[in-house]
This record gives sequence, C-alpha cells and structure tokens, in this order.
Amino acid sequence: MKSLTPPLLRCLCLNRSMDFIRPKRMLYFWIDKIRNVLLRLSWHLVHSIINLCYFTTGMVHALESHLISRGLLRKYKSLHISKIRYLAIVIESEDACRTSNVIELLQWLAALGIKHVSLYDNEGLLKKSKDIILEKFDGAVLFQDTHENNVLLDQPRMTLEFVSFYDGKEAVARAANVLLMKYIKSGGIGSNQGEQIFTESQMSEALKTVGSGGPEPDLLLIYGPARCHLGFPAWRMRYTEIQHMGPLTCMTYGSLIKAIYRFTTVRQNYGK
Amino acid sequence: MEHFTLNHHGKGEEGEEEEEVDETLPLGLRREAIPRHVAVIMDGNRRWARSRDLHVRSGYEAGARSLRTIVELCCKWGIKVLSVFAFSSDNWFRPKVEVELLMSLFERGMQEDTGIFLRENIRISVIGDLAKLPEALQELILNLEETTKNNTHFQLIVAVSYSGQYDVVQACQRLALKAKHGLVEPGDIDTSLIEQELETNCSEFPHPDLLIRTSGEFRISNFMLWQLAYTELFFAQSLWPDFGEAEFLKALLAFQQRQRRYGG
Repeated sequence: MKSLTPPLLRCLCLNRSMDFIRPKRMLYFWIDKIRNVLLRLSWHLVHSIINLCYFTTGMVHALESHLISRGLLRKYKSLHISKIRYLAIVIESEDACRTSNVIELLQWLAALGIKHVSLYDNEGLLKKSKDIILEKFDGAVLFQDTHENNVLLDQPRMTLEFVSFYDGKEAVARAANVLLMKYIKSGGIGSNQGEQIFTESQMSEALKTVGSGGPEPDLLLIYGPARCHLGFPAWRMRYTEIQHMGPLTCMTYGSLIKAIYRFTTVRQNYGK
Repeated sequence: MEHFTLNHHGKGEEGEEEEEVDETLPLGLRREAIPRHVAVIMDGNRRWARSRDLHVRSGYEAGARSLRTIVELCCKWGIKVLSVFAFSSDNWFRPKVEVELLMSLFERGMQEDTGIFLRENIRISVIGDLAKLPEALQELILNLEETTKNNTHFQLIVAVSYSGQYDVVQACQRLALKAKHGLVEPGDIDTSLIEQELETNCSEFPHPDLLIRTSGEFRISNFMLWQLAYTELFFAQSLWPDFGEAEFLKALLAFQQRQRRYGG
C-alpha cells in the first residue's frame, strides 16, 4: 500500500474539513436568508398597520365632518365665535391660485361671523390675486396697517389681510435696519455688551413702520399637506393656536367648524 | 467542488437587490427619514402632578426622567440635535417658590448628569437670557458648555429663560454692536445675517426638522419663532412625564409619513 505523503494527507484533511464546513455554511446562509425575509415582512407589516390606522382615522374624520356640516352633532351647533378676534389662514402656494376655494372658505368664515382674516401663502400669490378675491367676495374690506386694533374689531364687514414671506422674516430684517438706523443716529448709547439696546416692543413698533405690523392671530388654520406654517410672520404667532386642516382641495365646512370649536374650548395660561 | 458565496447584504443567487432593514432602528423607521434636529416643548409636568395629588416638584422630577429617556433614544436612533424648551421668559411670572424649585432642579440635573454627558460624548448648549439666572447656575452652565464643547456624537440644547422674540431681538442687538464697530453697514441687515446671530447658531443644524409639543396644546408658545418656519409640527396628547419611547416613535413615524415643503 502506498503510504500517504504529507501533501496527500493535507489534501485529505482539507477535503474532510471542507465536508464539515460546507453544510455549516449552507445552514448559516439559509438562517441569514430566512431572518432577512422575516425582518422585511415585519417591516412591511408594521407599515401596513400604520397606513391602515391613518386610513381609518381619515375615514372617521370625514364622517364626523359630514355629520357636523349637516348640523347633526349637537355640541358643534353653538360656537363662541367672539373668542376668535383674528383668524389666519395659511395656504400652500401650489393651492393659492385656487381662488374659488379661497372665496368659498371666506364665505364660510363670514357666515360664522369671523371679522378679521389674514390670508397667507409663502410666495405671495394670494396678494397678487387680492383684487380678484375682493371683487368676487364682496363681503370684505382690505386691511390697512394703520388701523388700530379696536377699529378692526368694530368693522361691520370682514377685514382681509394678504400676507406673504415678505411680511415675515424679510419684514423683521427691514425692521432691524430701522432700529439700527435709529440706534446709530442716537450715537449708540447703551452700547456695552450685555446691555439691552433694543426691546421687543421696539421691534413691534419697527414692524409697524415697515408695514408689517398686523395683529397676532388667535387661531391659524393650515391648508396644505405639510403640518408647518410655511413662514407665516413668526413675530405674530407667539400664542396662536395652530390647526392643520389638510389640503385646500379637501376642505370641508365640518372640519372648519370642528377646528373653531376646539379653539373655543382651549384655555391658555401664557406660561404663568 | 461546489461553491457557496455568502453575501452579507442579503443578495440572492441571482443577485437581486433586496431591501435592507436597519436593525438599529425600531421597525417602521427609515434611517434616511430620521430628523436631524428635534425640538420639544415639554408641557404638562404640573398637570401630571396635580392629577396624581402630588406636589408640583414630583411633576418636574418625572419630567426630568422623561427627558433622559428621550435623550437616550435620540442618541440610539441617530438624531443629532435635541432642543428642549425648559423655561420660558413668561415662566418668570410663576410663583417665586416654583421658580426657585425649577432653578434648583436645573442645577442638580446638570451636576448629576455631567458624567453621562462626558461618557456619551454629548455636547450641552444652553440658550436664553442667562443673565436672569442665579449666578451659581450661570457658572455651572458656562463650565458645562466649555467642558462638553468638543463632544460630537449628540447635542442637547436647553432653552432656559428663552423666548423666540428675545432671540430675534438679541440677534438684532448683536448686529447693532457689529455695525457700531464697522463690521456691518447700516441697511445691510438681511435674513441671513439675522440667522447667523440667533442663539441656535451654536448648532450645526440650527433649524428643527420636527417640533413635538406635549399635553395636547396646539401652539408654539414663543419658542424658536424664527427657526420653526418649515418645521413639522406634532402635537401629542400625553403629558410630558408620560411621553416615552412609544409616543416618540409615533411622532417620528408621523414625521416620516408627511411631505415637507421648504418654501417651494
């Protein structure tokens, strides 16, 4: 019998160990594969459950909105509208050209007795359409920045204000330049680091000077897919209640009533 | 000899692309849709205590525990910055006893957690009108900020004696001082110059992607007014001490579901 040479012996050992390793590797491969499949299935299942929850919630809201519109839910029949002195509407710029929807919304608000409405879209498309809106919705007058707040509240007709990004951060920048000019003209007194040069009321006055000193809305309704205020003049929304209403094209009278009702039940303590 | 190749990214024999599931995140969360900066208005501590017939101190202590939980989750899930509205300018009008209690809780919390911040590579920044705080607390804050300023894993921004309007005014004030020294020309102030001087400029990501307010209130109460223009707003019903992992996950999932606009 031919004796086994070391290389042959090594080859035999290698083959034997490969025989052990191969099934083990197959096992790990299939375990890994099955684990990945199960994880992916779980991930898709979770997402499906979440989507189902959102769908169900949407259906419930739609039904409730329908019932409110029909006046079938008693608690929404009497609203304390006087709690809303100023209402702001934020509209996605993509929907801001839908003037018929905007006018319908304004008609609903006028019917409810809302006296002052700020209409905002980031790009100022509503501002550009203001003549058309005022012409078609003849129940309103244009907001003048020089109006004092008590004059606004006494108006028999709705006061409409058209606002854009120009009246938000850009207005604050213009107001800051006004404050800066005054500060330099005054010789820069109180100019040590840490001393207060400007106050919040001075900024409010400066904003009025640059024509962006409108009132703080009590309630802000956002019509758009994203739940953010899209740059509405932030200086004016310290304590404003914010409600997301969904896209403008899906607006309903019932959801508007519900949002206003919810606001009228809120009690604020303003941080105190 | 047969060959088997194990591909760690789960490609099959045909080389099909398969969706990867990030095992470090809870099921349902996608890594690419995790917000970089989350802001929180921690509302409801007092109501939580009152509903349990406890002293208001218990509410704030429970709130502090909630905050630690959320910080841990942020570190685990890859959120880079968490801003919390701990004490607003309006809160100074609360009863003196309550204000002193809050100041002592801040002080104790910062002292006790310094070791954790250092160990976990967490940077602490405190924004607000700090001159109104007790001197001992001011010194503690300065030391903690200095000690942790080079930490990079996560940043916790604590807003104390802060308001959004204060932040804008102090930014204008800084620009006025720069103008006095000839660094800024009068009339040149624009939105980007103001942005650079806001107190949130201490962060690589100064604008929150997501704001969470607890206790069912639907307003931002003078918090980061400038910075929140395009932030997704999530209003949670639970009180802050009850806001835990499940609620936080719900907020993040809602964030992922929504479309966002950036003025476009």
